[in-house]
Amino acid sequence: MKMIKRFFDAQRPHFSSGGKLEKWYPFYEAVETIFYASDEVTPGQGPHIRDSLDLKRYLATVVFILIPLLLFGIYNSGYQTRLAAGAPLDLWTVIFTGARSVLPIVLVSYIVGFAWEIIFAVIRRHPISEGVFVSAMLFPLTLPPTTPLWQVALGISFGVVIGKEIFGGTGRNFLNPALTGRAFLYFAYPAQMSGDTVWLALSGLKETAVDAITAATPLVVAAATETTGAVEEALSGAGYTVSTLFFGFYPDSIGASSTLLCLIGAIVLMMMGIANYRIIVGDIIGLILTGFLLNLLATESSNPYMTLNPFYHLLMGGTAFGFAFMTTDPVSAPDLRAARWIYGFAIGALTVLIRVFNPAFPEGIMLAILFMNVLAPLLDHIVIRFRMKRRVPNV
Amino acid sequence: MGATLKSTKPPDRVAACPSRIPFIKPRLRVKKGDDIQVGELLFEDKQEPRFQFLSPGGGRIDDIRFGPRRVIEQIVITLARDESQVNFPTLTDQSLATISRSDLVDMIVTGGIWPLIRALPFRDIPDPDTHPPMIFIGLDNTEPFQTAPEIYLRGNEELFDFGVRVLKRLSETVYVTAPKANDGVQKCLNGQINLDYTGKYPAGDPGVLLYHVKTTPAENNSWFIAGQDVLMLARLLTTGHYPTDRIVAIGGSATDNRHHVQTRLGAPIADLLGHSVDPAVTRCVSGGVFRGQAVSPNDFLGLYETALTLLPAGNNKEFMALFDPGWKKPSYSRVYLSHLNQADLTVNCNRHGDERACIACMHCADVCPVDILPQLTYKATLADEVEEALAHGLLDCVECGLCTYVCPSKIELTDALKTAKAAYRKERGSG
Repeated sequence: MKMIKRFFDAQRPHFSSGGKLEKWYPFYEAVETIFYASDEVTPGQGPHIRDSLDLKRYLATVVFILIPLLLFGIYNSGYQTRLAAGAPLDLWTVIFTGARSVLPIVLVSYIVGFAWEIIFAVIRRHPISEGVFVSAMLFPLTLPPTTPLWQVALGISFGVVIGKEIFGGTGRNFLNPALTGRAFLYFAYPAQMSGDTVWLALSGLKETAVDAITAATPLVVAAATETTGAVEEALSGAGYTVSTLFFGFYPDSIGASSTLLCLIGAIVLMMMGIANYRIIVGDIIGLILTGFLLNLLATESSNPYMTLNPFYHLLMGGTAFGFAFMTTDPVSAPDLRAARWIYGFAIGALTVLIRVFNPAFPEGIMLAILFMNVLAPLLDHIVIRFRMKRRVPNV
Repeated sequence: MGATLKSTKPPDRVAACPSRIPFIKPRLRVKKGDDIQVGELLFEDKQEPRFQFLSPGGGRIDDIRFGPRRVIEQIVITLARDESQVNFPTLTDQSLATISRSDLVDMIVTGGIWPLIRALPFRDIPDPDTHPPMIFIGLDNTEPFQTAPEIYLRGNEELFDFGVRVLKRLSETVYVTAPKANDGVQKCLNGQINLDYTGKYPAGDPGVLLYHVKTTPAENNSWFIAGQDVLMLARLLTTGHYPTDRIVAIGGSATDNRHHVQTRLGAPIADLLGHSVDPAVTRCVSGGVFRGQAVSPNDFLGLYETALTLLPAGNNKEFMALFDPGWKKPSYSRVYLSHLNQADLTVNCNRHGDERACIACMHCADVCPVDILPQLTYKATLADEVEEALAHGLLDCVECGLCTYVCPSKIELTDALKTAKAAYRKERGSG
């Protein structure tokens, strides 16, 4: 402990004003505050006390909650890969296989994302904002495990720079940066981001004789079903039973497959007050009600997907992950309570509508969230007008 | 809060602190070395010379201390053994009933007590020619470690009643306000309290109470006065002398010795504490945790201040704070384990983090007692959108400090709103 203190005391002069590395002070500050909290005190004019919570802790908590999803993602991608290749499935080799494809993706995301944040912090002379640590964790969890590393780097760069920094950095971005990066890759490199062959990382696996194995995701299976009322059977026929979908043991993007872990994460974040329950509950209500509505409207001649039990929409694809971790990003969500309900409801509804009616996009959650991100300020504006009318004016 | 009332040794110096009185521009009417009586004019406001600030002690002007840009910080008076007093006219119950309102106002103004009354929404000293829709008398402003009203009211119930009747001559509606849960004061004044409330700080703030009782925009310019200041008002009018008695609460998380002291207006902080305080370890706040001002032991008690709060300075770098589960970390949020901890926790003056951008966590809006959206109002003021800030309810802001307290991004929200209010006041040219 003394050693760490001595180390920082020795380095500080280089980064302080007048030092050789003065410009890089934000970097020094970001590293030091991991070990030592700031000794800054409140100004002499009240309030004299401050909450123990700061943004660093607030966002570190989100990263912490995401770690189980990452670990599961490592295990699951290794497991699915070896299962498909017919390779032995003992625990450590599974973890090793998974880690070899997943960890480089996460590392590249962190290194590149952090590098952009430092560059902008140094140029703009502001402290490094911790938001990038959350974005750099969320982003890889939404990617297929086969994503080339240069695409990971490109995606997180797009997310951080275009999704956030050009608007002024954390707190001023109207889009969710991680999702912006994901959407960029989705549209720029569809071959690596969607389809049937991207979910299993077989390259480099000695035991396999094939180059790629197709694995149709539940969303594709559901969309391809041609018999009315038989979507559930088609899914379980393809191996996607309710329990498989719930626990997440199927080939999917790295961190998004386990509804269970997303549910636990969402509950913990809501209990801590970091994720707003209005958004998540609104999401779920919107999704379920829209699903039911489609059930009611479905006829023999309509799209068979409309007859799917709406709860399946919660289990399939990235819904649970998006609801728990993407819709709850407070910066890109609206601020006011009523607006948050509407925002959540609309995301849930749009997710189902895009999935069922848009043949080009098997997954709807990403576009639904980004679309509502854009509308969030408008929702706030409307709700604020209503609020202002209730006040006794004071001018 | 300890209900014991101690007396300290009588101070040998007292001071007036003009720079701690908001919105006034003091014009000195004394100079160093002058002999002075209790109740003699020390300084007045340049814009409104009827705002007169009288000497809290009799003796000699020992020193006039100036701060940056020649701000008058303190006018220090060395007390004579026998302090002579200026005599003011007095009122009896009968004459109070018959005196005209304007004569009554003149008596309070010339007696130097007028500045103890303040007007919403800016919390400045009211124009004596105006007629307030309501006056709020605050008996416990619910801020931590403040004077307990039952202590200063004990034995002064009739005096307080007289003060209330004086205020009733100034406005048709006078609210005597106290928390419902405070049995002591409810018993003490039995039946006089006509507005009680429940809730934590700042539930008892006059601005909060006004926000909940007002029905028309005209009521926004209501006045308020603290309970102990009602006694000052009544003392001036019944004894004919400028009152200097003060009861001050000493408390805070840096001291176990919490009590009240019987002292006088403008007393030296060191005398009140009775022991030395190391500023590197303990911060001494005159006023309160949320609204007070950090003072050094060489300072003096300000005109409106009736509490001294001692807080741990918190100027150390906490090791591995980022990873602390936080069983003992006080927080409004539910992020720390302290959410489950029922014990009293110690607060200190550390900022607990660096300033960051607003991420719309909405903690500030959740704690705002008058339903302003502090973060949006703050953003409106940053963009110089005064009209929008006003529509958000900027002037309803009671400057309680809660939004600044809870903000995880450590944004000085209260300060920004206060500054915006003051700028608007100046622009409007009032006062």
